[in-house]
Amino acid sequence: MREVGAVWRKDLLQEWRLRQGLVASALMGVVTVVAVGFASLGASLSEGLTAGLFWVAILFGMFPALARGFIVEEEAGTADLLRVGARPSAVFWGKWLFHFTLYLLLTLILVPLYGLVVAPLKGHLGGWLLLWLFGGFCLVSVLTLCGALVARTTTRGALLAVLTFPLLLPLLLILIGGTKTALNGLFPADSLQGVFGYTLTLSAGASWVFERVWAD
Amino acid sequence: MQTGWTLTCHDLGKRFGERWVFRHIELTLSQGTVLVVRGSNGSGKSTLIRILAGLLTPTEGRVQMALAGQAFAERRAWLGWSATDGALYRELTAREHLRWWATLRDTDATDTELMAHLERFELGARADDLLRTYSTGMRQRMRLALATWGRPPLLLLDEPDAGLDARGMLLLERVIDEHRTFGIVVLATNRNESLAWGDLTLEMGA
Repeated sequence: MREVGAVWRKDLLQEWRLRQGLVASALMGVVTVVAVGFASLGASLSEGLTAGLFWVAILFGMFPALARGFIVEEEAGTADLLRVGARPSAVFWGKWLFHFTLYLLLTLILVPLYGLVVAPLKGHLGGWLLLWLFGGFCLVSVLTLCGALVARTTTRGALLAVLTFPLLLPLLLILIGGTKTALNGLFPADSLQGVFGYTLTLSAGASWVFERVWAD
Repeated sequence: MQTGWTLTCHDLGKRFGERWVFRHIELTLSQGTVLVVRGSNGSGKSTLIRILAGLLTPTEGRVQMALAGQAFAERRAWLGWSATDGALYRELTAREHLRWWATLRDTDATDTELMAHLERFELGARADDLLRTYSTGMRQRMRLALATWGRPPLLLLDEPDAGLDARGMLLLERVIDEHRTFGIVVLATNRNESLAWGDLTLEMGA
């Protein structure tokens, strides 16, 4: 845990001094939400559309920062220092924790903004909260893993899109379904079960896969 | 019965594509030995160091570090590594960087200990400056400070003399001499002054 904390603190300190990831993410997310709000001005969005646009806005916001964690290390040449100094699992979970922190900060900005600009986020509050928490857990796991997988390749952009698509799509569909249920004032039990199962499988798998791709 | 640390390379070889950088390297280094690896550009000095550090997988052969004949698999426990092209976190100060490294290496370090280590590399006065403000020579010293933290039994140095002034070279010589008393040093270099520090020389590309 000390190693995980060290990787997390180091990334936070760098982010605090450079403010590259969060600013890029917040900018992308805010632009997306405002654009959606402008496009739907005066229209009454259905629950399904509200839920879909909500998760698309979150995903757009997260992408610039979260996928870059490992790519920045490889580009700067500091990845070797991490390889020599830390266990692979500590690197993965340290990066994951940093990305999850960014997710929390980003959603603190985007969720209220979405409620104000696009559509009020009403319904089952507990369901919302759990979807936000586990959905974020899972989204961060996918993006952290995919970022690590493509970091050492030359065709990063294209490969990142190809890799994340099949992993993200089922998750997004579950999250959108659950959010729609929560917007209707019901507890999204089925969706939460799906997200929880996906989270467990993916997190265990991601850590395992990462240990194999992190080494030469 | 062997005592102390031993580094063994058995039939080591590395190929990139169709090109073999080196093959059939057999080495046994015991505690107290400084091995100088020399050779022209592209002869495989850095590749060998990276394999020993676990950053590259050899195409053939294996590397083993053992204490009193007992093999140690996890490199973190016994490895110090420094390479000229090895980057540092430029947005951290030297003190923050060393503290981060100490935590990764599972060593509880007080601020006094961190500062004493930085002072040893003549970085104490600039300990709270961001590394991006450091000169090439100072960054090289910082790499040495990280590599030697915790007195790892195996110290791998890839051109640690690049960018060092006369004072820095004296410092490097002292570091290697100290390390010789409790560990093994593998030093890749082509600088004449550094070649004299070795007990053994491995000529790459010969």
